[in-house]
Amino acid sequence: MRMSFAYSLVVLACIAALGSGCNTAFGRWLGLSSKKPVPAAPTAPPTLTPEIVPMAPDGGSLLEPGEEMIAEIGTEPFDKSRTPDTEAAFAPVQFAYDSFVIPPPEISKIEQVGQFLLENASRVLVVEGNCDERGSNEYNLSLGEQRAGAVRKYLIDLGIDGLRVQTKSFGEEKPADTGHNEAAWAKNRRAEFVVYK
Amino acid sequence: MTNRGWLGVACLLVAGVAGSGTAADDDLRIVVTGTAAAKDAIALTGLQASGPQGRAFLQTLAADLERSGWYKVQAAGAAKVTGTVADAGSGVSAACTFSAAGRAFAWKHAGGDSRQEAHLLADEIVRRLKGCAGIAATRILMVRRTGSNRADLYLCDSDGRNLKQVTHDNVACVGPRWTPDGRHAYYTSYVSGRPCVYRIAVDGGPRELLAGYLGLNTGAAVSPDGRDVALILSFPGNPEVFLMHLGNGMERLTRTRLANEASPAWSPDGRQLAYVSDATGKPHVYIMDVASRQSRRATFRGTENVAPSWGPDGRIAYCSRREGSYQIALLDPRAGESAGTVSSGPDHQDPSWAPDGRHIVCSRREGSGGTVCILDTLGDPPVRLFALSGDWIAPEWSER
Repeated sequence: MRMSFAYSLVVLACIAALGSGCNTAFGRWLGLSSKKPVPAAPTAPPTLTPEIVPMAPDGGSLLEPGEEMIAEIGTEPFDKSRTPDTEAAFAPVQFAYDSFVIPPPEISKIEQVGQFLLENASRVLVVEGNCDERGSNEYNLSLGEQRAGAVRKYLIDLGIDGLRVQTKSFGEEKPADTGHNEAAWAKNRRAEFVVYK
Repeated sequence: MTNRGWLGVACLLVAGVAGSGTAADDDLRIVVTGTAAAKDAIALTGLQASGPQGRAFLQTLAADLERSGWYKVQAAGAAKVTGTVADAGSGVSAACTFSAAGRAFAWKHAGGDSRQEAHLLADEIVRRLKGCAGIAATRILMVRRTGSNRADLYLCDSDGRNLKQVTHDNVACVGPRWTPDGRHAYYTSYVSGRPCVYRIAVDGGPRELLAGYLGLNTGAAVSPDGRDVALILSFPGNPEVFLMHLGNGMERLTRTRLANEASPAWSPDGRQLAYVSDATGKPHVYIMDVASRQSRRATFRGTENVAPSWGPDGRIAYCSRREGSYQIALLDPRAGESAGTVSSGPDHQDPSWAPDGRHIVCSRREGSGGTVCILDTLGDPPVRLFALSGDWIAPEWSER
């Protein structure tokens, strides 16, 4: 059953870090709305209360049969709870344009990482998905996440516990090469491995 | 070729201007100078302005009326603004009458900021005479990218003035979207090290976390009634569209385990969502009826179609890859895609409708940077929002 709830976030840490004042925002909204005549539609939004467990209003599951959440309740992002293992460096997996399919020549790179994780049970991994600059930033965020997800799935199929592998997409926001040509683009379509201890 | 309707005409005219190469690009000005679209002559010569603030009001009003696309300011015209405007404290006191073709209204304001008061009068003229919202008093939010994983949000008036930095994080941020009140925005920031969705008060104030689940949190767009947020989450293992009822749980709108979804955009009535999915292998715009969850593919032209923005008159602007370059195209959900594009030349991306349903703001690639560009769907030449260099992307036009 571990997968049925498996999930979490850093709500408390983020709220604390940002010093958010929900009531203030709520009041501002109301105040502003009364300043100018507002068409009936825009009403005051409820205060933001991020939920720890994503839940449907009727308490039902948000997952499809066979789907698994990507982490357990209470799991913190590895980049917050752990420190990078800089000695464990692996070559990034490269992808074709607008594709999240792992090219066969790249598979050995994932297998090396899988072997390392099998031999080093204390280590965990964040797979960072990246794209080239072509296409919209938002679509590329999703594409980068799916590239990272494809690598994570391959590692799970190799026998690695999915709870040891998190994903993070940078879309086109974090190019390895800031050039605007095919060579730079090819370099930027990648999934990087960041090992934490 | 293209149809012979207004859109075809607009496309040809815009193509004629922008397609002439980079020399023409340098001529983009802040004030619309083209006369491609039909305009009414309007005279401001009967408006007596005194004092520096009064004169600033007059200048701003003239520029606003031209920028609206509907008017050409001339020495004489069937439409006219008469009256007086003078300094009053740090602002202006204005007593004006607008008249045109048997229609007239009086307009009196005292003590307000000269630029803001002029914006309000210009928008009132457009609203009363043209029956659509004005754009003079609106604002544009955008991202300035300064390097790999480095960016901040910026804000300016719709005439490119009053540019100010909204965030000071110097870390990647993506996809700002206004809230209906014009004072807040949802956006994705890496300020915590990974992509989370926040709501920020753009004129200063708290930033609140909306979604920080493990995986991807992005693409947040608030519904027209302000109660729900559509967004992209990947906690099920792959990016999907979710609907967050603020303060009351969430629902999942797509269940496409092998496809990416991105960029949800609400219809003006809040009943439909346009979004991007690559379920066919390439990204295309889909439209979902939110109540029934029924989706249909809406774009077939071009090899990629992304970044939909649903305009106030029901048309969707989106970024379409045609013959290798990204251009802004239009889609009427009832009639289908337009054959032509409203931009041409270098890549244009990330369209966002103005509340007048006529203009579109987008980013335009120029060398290694991006500029913010305003397109006119009725045929006036494209206008650069401001002349600053840098990499300016993802502009979003406020609704009010």
